[in-house]
Amino acid sequence: MVPGRGALRLMAALLWSVPLPCLAMETPQVLTRQTSLEYSVKANYLVRFAAFADWPPRAFASNQSPVVICVAGRDPFRGALDRAVQAQTAHGRPLAVRRPGTREAAAGCHILYVGQGGGGLVPEGQRATLLVTDSAAPPAERGMIHFAISENRVRFHIDLQQASRAGLSISSRLLNLALSVRGG
Amino acid sequence: MPWLARLRYSRFPIVALVSLLVLLVAGVTIAVLNERSLKEQTAREAGAQADLLASAVSGALAFDDAEAAQDYVDAVQVNPSVLTAAVYDENGRLLASFIRDGETIFHEAAPDDRATLFDNGRLLVARPVEEAGQRLGVVHLKLLETPRAQRFGRYAGLLVVLALAALVVLVLAVAQGALRRANRQLADRAAELVRANSLLQQQMLEREKAEEALRQSQKMEAIGRLTGGIAHDFNNLLMVASSGIDLLDRTDDPKRRRALSAGVRQAVERGAALTRQLLAFARRSPLRAEVLDLRGHIEGLRFLLERSLREDIEVVLDLPEDLWRIEADRGELELALLNLAVNARDAMPQGGRLSVVGRNQPGEGGGPDRVFLRITDTGVGMSEAVASRVFEPFFTTKEVGRGTGLGLSQVYGFVRSSGGDVSVDSREGAGTTFTLCLPPTEKAPPEPEAARPAPVRGPGARASSGRLLLVEDDDAVAAGVGHMLGDLGYSHVRVANAAEALAVLEKDPGFDLVFSDMVMPGEMDGLGLAQEVRRRLPETPVLLTTGFSEAASAATGEAFRLLPKPYGIESLSEALNATLSEGAP
Repeated sequence: MVPGRGALRLMAALLWSVPLPCLAMETPQVLTRQTSLEYSVKANYLVRFAAFADWPPRAFASNQSPVVICVAGRDPFRGALDRAVQAQTAHGRPLAVRRPGTREAAAGCHILYVGQGGGGLVPEGQRATLLVTDSAAPPAERGMIHFAISENRVRFHIDLQQASRAGLSISSRLLNLALSVRGG
Repeated sequence: MPWLARLRYSRFPIVALVSLLVLLVAGVTIAVLNERSLKEQTAREAGAQADLLASAVSGALAFDDAEAAQDYVDAVQVNPSVLTAAVYDENGRLLASFIRDGETIFHEAAPDDRATLFDNGRLLVARPVEEAGQRLGVVHLKLLETPRAQRFGRYAGLLVVLALAALVVLVLAVAQGALRRANRQLADRAAELVRANSLLQQQMLEREKAEEALRQSQKMEAIGRLTGGIAHDFNNLLMVASSGIDLLDRTDDPKRRRALSAGVRQAVERGAALTRQLLAFARRSPLRAEVLDLRGHIEGLRFLLERSLREDIEVVLDLPEDLWRIEADRGELELALLNLAVNARDAMPQGGRLSVVGRNQPGEGGGPDRVFLRITDTGVGMSEAVASRVFEPFFTTKEVGRGTGLGLSQVYGFVRSSGGDVSVDSREGAGTTFTLCLPPTEKAPPEPEAARPAPVRGPGARASSGRLLLVEDDDAVAAGVGHMLGDLGYSHVRVANAAEALAVLEKDPGFDLVFSDMVMPGEMDGLGLAQEVRRRLPETPVLLTTGFSEAASAATGEAFRLLPKPYGIESLSEALNATLSEGAP
């Protein structure tokens, strides 16, 4: 068995058996655990996005090129993302995780998670990068997919307009699950 | 294989059995193939449905959206044959499901991602949920296989056709078996028929013989009955003759002698007529239809009838002149009338009257003409029960030894074989009437025998001369004939039998004529002698004489002249003259 699976199963079990309590009411330890749970779900989701989005062929250097998932700014996943991508593929490509330090480096990303302080790394112009922002991001800086917590669950909003401008297509099955879809 | 041999000899045709087997195998094969393809199709459809569900729930699985997954699962239950649907995530955890009553699901996914299982009328399909190569989970669908009733319905048509075909084959087989059996029975019956036919032929032959014998015996029986009357009659005649001869010896008065001799001759002639009639009646002859003049014939029978009855019975014949002729056997008609007469006699123990009435009955309304003969007696009559049975053979009311019961059955047989009918009308104490109804004939009666020229009577018999050889075994007859011959002017030598005659002829062949009796003792009879004489001495004529009708017909068959006994001197003279004149030229 893959090493990451055990943790993932535990996480999922926790997630489903115990609904996430209101974050503000929790003690710091509990809060930490819940936060780590939330991010491990989000890390998982990032991996899944690779399967439900489609990139134009020019976004990849070759057929074998991996789908690159980048974390810009502070990394909240604490290794959960690295574990999640292990042995996973999307569209027949392997997945890779990078933490670019510069805007240029971020240009090669296919999925870019913008964490705290990562706003400056978002590439300029129309690049085929699926921009994922977290709940803390101000509305103006929201990416194509924006995480939100709804009914103690990790959900997301989708900005289809932005995605299609970037030449990305997002599966309708993903759209169906979104809290809101902008520019359908 | 013994069962095969047994089957071959059984009545059930092998072809039918093979047809039945082929039908069965074909039916089963079709059903199995159908069932298999149906299963495959069901599995394919279920797989497609599961694939559809898997692709639909991929998003919900990927992002843990149980509600969305449930929506998709609920959509599946629109299909009534889906019993359960379950969506498990990649860790085998149940995310969404729906279960119909009485069904169960796995709470953890089976290790197989992709599977199709048939189990007890259920079809389990598992399909992996994948998106762009990421394995997201697995969906399970449990479907009801096509319901039995529906499946049975699908095969019902086939079954009906199979059953009909089997029935047809069975019916054909049974029919063929029955036919074969019937053929065999038919063949048996045909063989039986052949056997029966040959048996029948044999019996018919025997019966013909028996009937012939019976007819003869009936005749003899009738003659036996006649005997009493005849004996009485003969005694009277003999009485007349003997008294006449006695008186002749006692008188010399020529007038009286003439009267006496005339009386004696008359008695003798009556006796001769009587014996002639008896012989004619008793003669053996096959049934031979001839045209008969009823009136003349029955009138001729009157004498015989009167003899067969008693003197206290009066015979009345009422036969019109123009009574139509019929075609029948003479002897049988006589026998029938005699039987009826005897029957009437027995019915009239106190005497009475027997009437024979003939009438012509022209056919009415296209019916055929008939001649009726009614024989009526004034006797005791019979009851209706007896009257209804009188024509049955061997039915008799007479005491044992008096009657055979064949008399009236002979009457019936005669009338039927002549194409007519007979009925009886009788009341107890009021007499009996038998009515014979016979078809008339248009044919002419046979030429009556040429009337013999009236014999020359009295002393006019011309005197002749010649030497005769007289062959006669009876001395009295020989003496009488010798006197007559001498009287006629012939000389003669008398011998007693054929052998002596031949011996005499050997020594002295110069006789003018051989006059021989026909029935004689010795190895050779008169006919043999005549033939021998004709061979040795063709110039010497032969005259035969006899009292037997059978012998007489044999003589005429051989073309010898015959003088029937008894004969008078005139007849003798005439016959001798004729024979001599024949032999002379």
